[in-house]
Amino acid sequence: MIGFDVVGFLVSWLTLFGIYSILSISLNVESGVAGITNFGKVVFYGIGAYMSAAITTYLILILNGVDVDKTPPYNVNGVILLGQLGNKDPLLNLGLLVLSLILAFVIAGLVGYLLTYPILRVGPAFVGFTLLSSGELLRIFLLHYEPVGASKGLMAIPTPFGWMPDSRARDIAYLGLVLGFLALTYVITNKLVNSPLGRTLKAVRDDEIAALCLGKHVPRIKATILFTGSGFTGVAGVLLAYYLTSVNPNMFVPAVTFNAWAMIILGGFGNLRGSLLGAAVITFVDRVLTFVTPYLGVTVISPDYLRWVIVGLLIVVVLLVNPKGLLPERPIKTPATKEVWKELQGEASEQRS
Amino acid sequence: MINFVQYSFFYLILALPLTLSYRTTKVINFAHANFVTYGAYIAVFLHGIRGSNSMALAAALAFLIVGGIAVLNNIAVFTPLQRRGSSPAILMISSMGLWIAYKYVLYMLTDVAHFFTSKNFVSYGRITYSDVPRMSMAGFDFSQAFVAGMISSALVLVALYLTLEKTKVGRAMRAVADNPTLAGISGIPRGLIINLTWFICGGIVAVGGVIWTSFSGAITPEAGDSMILQIFTVGFIGGLVSLFRTSVGAVLIAGIENIGIAFLNAYFSVPISFKPFLTFATLITTLILFPPLGAGGGLPYRFLRRGARQ
Amino acid sequence: MSNVLEVRDVAKYFGGVRALDGVSLSVPEKGLIGLIGPNGSGKTTLFNVITGFYVPDKGSVWFKESEDMVRIDGLNPNEVFRRGIVRTFQIPRLFNSLTVLENLLVTPPGQKGESITKALFIKSWSDEEREFARRAINLLRLFGMSRYVDSKIYELSAAHIKMLETMRGLMTPAKLYLLDEPAAGVDYPVARELFTYVRRLREEQELTFLIIEHRLEILMEFVDYVYVLHNGKLLSEGRPQEVISDPKVIEAYIGV
Repeated sequence: MIGFDVVGFLVSWLTLFGIYSILSISLNVESGVAGITNFGKVVFYGIGAYMSAAITTYLILILNGVDVDKTPPYNVNGVILLGQLGNKDPLLNLGLLVLSLILAFVIAGLVGYLLTYPILRVGPAFVGFTLLSSGELLRIFLLHYEPVGASKGLMAIPTPFGWMPDSRARDIAYLGLVLGFLALTYVITNKLVNSPLGRTLKAVRDDEIAALCLGKHVPRIKATILFTGSGFTGVAGVLLAYYLTSVNPNMFVPAVTFNAWAMIILGGFGNLRGSLLGAAVITFVDRVLTFVTPYLGVTVISPDYLRWVIVGLLIVVVLLVNPKGLLPERPIKTPATKEVWKELQGEASEQRS
Repeated sequence: MINFVQYSFFYLILALPLTLSYRTTKVINFAHANFVTYGAYIAVFLHGIRGSNSMALAAALAFLIVGGIAVLNNIAVFTPLQRRGSSPAILMISSMGLWIAYKYVLYMLTDVAHFFTSKNFVSYGRITYSDVPRMSMAGFDFSQAFVAGMISSALVLVALYLTLEKTKVGRAMRAVADNPTLAGISGIPRGLIINLTWFICGGIVAVGGVIWTSFSGAITPEAGDSMILQIFTVGFIGGLVSLFRTSVGAVLIAGIENIGIAFLNAYFSVPISFKPFLTFATLITTLILFPPLGAGGGLPYRFLRRGARQ
Repeated sequence: MSNVLEVRDVAKYFGGVRALDGVSLSVPEKGLIGLIGPNGSGKTTLFNVITGFYVPDKGSVWFKESEDMVRIDGLNPNEVFRRGIVRTFQIPRLFNSLTVLENLLVTPPGQKGESITKALFIKSWSDEEREFARRAINLLRLFGMSRYVDSKIYELSAAHIKMLETMRGLMTPAKLYLLDEPAAGVDYPVARELFTYVRRLREEQELTFLIIEHRLEILMEFVDYVYVLHNGKLLSEGRPQEVISDPKVIEAYIGV
């Protein structure tokens, strides 16, 4: 290996791992725990990414006194201007990050909330398909919507740490940000799952009719979960846009959703740590392929296709061989269940002695 | 208008097997999209590599190969999962995995074919078949594609109708669909019937794909994916149960897509490429107003209350 | 004594089948009422109409709330539940991936920890949950199932599943319990234990029960009034002794 950049590899892998983990964890809460077959993850991811891209590019130009009617951020002059103006003011860049995150969470969440309405009463096939096709519609819309660059998308998005002179320091600072959000997502979702709410979600997943007859407001529960999950997905989208510094409609194909599904199926349905593991494995393979590809030269078959065949087969094979995944789901832990368990253990040992 | 008739038949030939396969096998098959694409690409490879211009040959081969693939899916994936008592959601997810794998296998095949022939298979032009006549009738000049589509759709639909209604196999298929347990008790070989259903469904959809090559300008490995919204919406209008309502759905969607968008384009200058939005709106309306409770779940929850007074 | 539940002339059709055809019945407060009838006579359909699973095609259902009778047909199942009617299912619908304890803990409505904001703060719901856990353990002990606390549903016997289904209903405070064949497949002594417990609940906590049961030998010993359904119509009603000796009922059960 000539000049293999270990730190660079680790930083890029961990950043992607962070972004994809947020995606897979929120998908696991929605689909693994609450049983909403969300095949439209990419909708909320795309909304988040485009939200931050549009806000950042437009506001930077406007705040620098550029007339965006004449030089919009998606044409050549706009891209050049963004390169010159984008990374001067740390406060502005960080402020835009915060603004994008909040807006992405709220808007993606609201879209998720609204999309629950048509799918509440129908079975998983319809839910999955409706969300899947809304992803395709979003893509068609973005492809034809001029203000976000139509098929070209938006480029040269100024990043939150763009003002740092050293590129390695910039990447590491960004990695810190991504991992910070991953930690936040994990802590919050973990608490949600290990609570009476999590138990109710699993009940809805197992038998939504019985849950409804036991007084659970199933529609409201589903809408709340899709709001929260989509909100986090929006955040992941924001982080992706700043990481890649460009967005275009063809990044948000259904395949992105399947990637996240492969992660939660591999890691374990309903197990949040499993999602982390799944995301780590798949992003690692991804990164290795990206690093190796240039050394392979021209091949008959593009390695990218091979990668997707593997993802597809992975889903099928894991479901066939080990449907519980690497880390199977575990019962919810709450203070009360732990105490009951201890108490009964005590009784059992008394009886034995 | 001709487009409308053509697409009605086209959607019919693609969506009927979806309903049929769901009804009998209880698997919601996302790999349905692959059947279309594989059908189309069998014609493309025949044309591009072997130089064959025969639509009949392409259709026959597509029927056999894709039907075989469908049976293979069932034997290797769906049956083992069902035997273990997996939920419909799991079956659906596995079909999604198959979908993505098959799609990129096709991409790989186009790469290989490109390597040997240096032709571009990732976007292939319309195929003109030699064994399909041009026709003119009542002053209209029908394109070859139209004639091909009409003849083959009609053939397939009649054959399907006769199989379902008049033969022992068709009756067995319906028995398995209506009450699998009872069908099993009364001596119908359930596994065999399900495999046969997959074969027929995969085959018919593949023929649909072949027909598509005769009128589409750009055949890509994404072809089936771009049609999946329409196909599934048509199937959902039929609740994935009723073949008759599925047929109505096919006509409805073809009408909305061809006449509706032309209207909107003329009067409100909505771009033609936005026609999936109309289909999607139809889908959402169907789900809200006529929730297909029959198929795979359904919550007895009513947004509008009737009869309750405070 | 006033009525808790009144079913007035309810009809429900499925296609051409008249599952319920003008049924009226009433359940008095603190009542322990039986509902019997041959298979397919419409008992479970009636439960489904009362609990909002189906909307009746004709007639109405009324439920006593504070002092007034309120119309409840057409409400959604969760709303009916919140008003104080709990039902169990004939074919148990337990949550299969949850443990026995979790199945019981999930039932109480309006738990603090079910709110998405409160769920984040363990302190805000842990005391309440302990209370539920206590109740669940007591129920399990009472019916000799405490060693199954951590079992998954598929590890239980059919009788235990049936018992758990009933216990899940009893976990929640409600005014009216609709039990659908609680004794089906359960050993005779345990079934009697169950009915004794139901009777005790009624005495001590002034609860009301409407029970579908095929095992008349147990049912008749405990209930104080019985309705008999046949082909979607009310065939007979009265005290257990009267009903059992009613020639119409005997005819329907023997099946002529």
